[in-house]
Amino acid sequence: MSPTLATERLILRRPAPRDYEGFKAFAMSDRASGIGGPFPERTAWRVFCAELGHWTLLGYGMWAVTRKGDDTAIGLIGPWTPADWPETEVGWTIWRAEDEGTGIAAEAARAAVDHAYRELGWDTVVSYVGNDNDRSAALAEKLGAVLDPDAPQPKPDEPCRVYRHPRPEARV
Amino acid sequence: MTAPVLTTQRMTLRRPEPHDLEPFVAFCATERSRWIGGPAPREDAWEGFALNLGHWELLGFGYFHAELTATGEPVGRIGLRQPEGKPEPEVAFSIYTDEMEGKGLATEAACACRDWAFGAVGLPTLVSYIDPANARSQAVARRMGATRDPDAARWPSHSTLEVWRHPKPEVVQ
Repeated sequence: MSPTLATERLILRRPAPRDYEGFKAFAMSDRASGIGGPFPERTAWRVFCAELGHWTLLGYGMWAVTRKGDDTAIGLIGPWTPADWPETEVGWTIWRAEDEGTGIAAEAARAAVDHAYRELGWDTVVSYVGNDNDRSAALAEKLGAVLDPDAPQPKPDEPCRVYRHPRPEARV
Repeated sequence: MTAPVLTTQRMTLRRPEPHDLEPFVAFCATERSRWIGGPAPREDAWEGFALNLGHWELLGFGYFHAELTATGEPVGRIGLRQPEGKPEPEVAFSIYTDEMEGKGLATEAACACRDWAFGAVGLPTLVSYIDPANARSQAVARRMGATRDPDAARWPSHSTLEVWRHPKPEVVQ
């Protein structure tokens, strides 16, 4: 049974095939520049498959973020640890511009970081943020994460900013 | 659609589980994986394996993990694929090790997948995309009764691959 997280306004659940169309629209748009996009349809499909497969392989993964009372996914937020990641990451994508600035990403990401530390038992949580992605960096800072310039890079030939999240009990 | 278990004379084909990752990683590290873009490091194999699990969840079919029924030894990944951008569904096959090669296992497993594709899955057509230099896979396709289809749409991202068309089972001789 995959865990579902509930926050004040949100339900975070395991992603499902029905979330693909929303993800695809995001992945093929300029909004995906923070994760290396925009992607062609073929790549969007592969990335989404890998999101689903990550859950099957590891028993956890990024959650589909939904508003209470509406099952439509508006983003993917949560643990992401493919085989080549040097550390355990919590990542986030919000798919549509109209969901920006609502605090939803922070609400979901905070729950995801807490879950990673407390339920998954991770020793550390990082977030990899593209050097151009200031919105994402602002979110990391809002969560209390701190830049760690000495942290290993997930893709050494394309350096990014590595933010390290405090444990929930240390969060101020 | 529930993922079935296909059984052939010598093999069991089932939807892959997390513990089937390692034989696939080992295969990807060898020259044997050159026809699927290898040799590839573990992280790429992991991603490919995860992708296939998601493929199953999205479409209800994908690559099976094939193993010898008698011993449980892994044979390869054989199954049905239709990622977005691929013009037609494909039956594809990779045999993991030299020891499993040359025994007709790829043909045996791929025929079971083809029959499932045209039967329970209900796919209207089925092809295999094969490199012109990949003589072994061509031989498997030929033994299955497939023929080159020079008029078929090629896979845009892999346009050098030739299209082999599989006849529906009732017209296989």
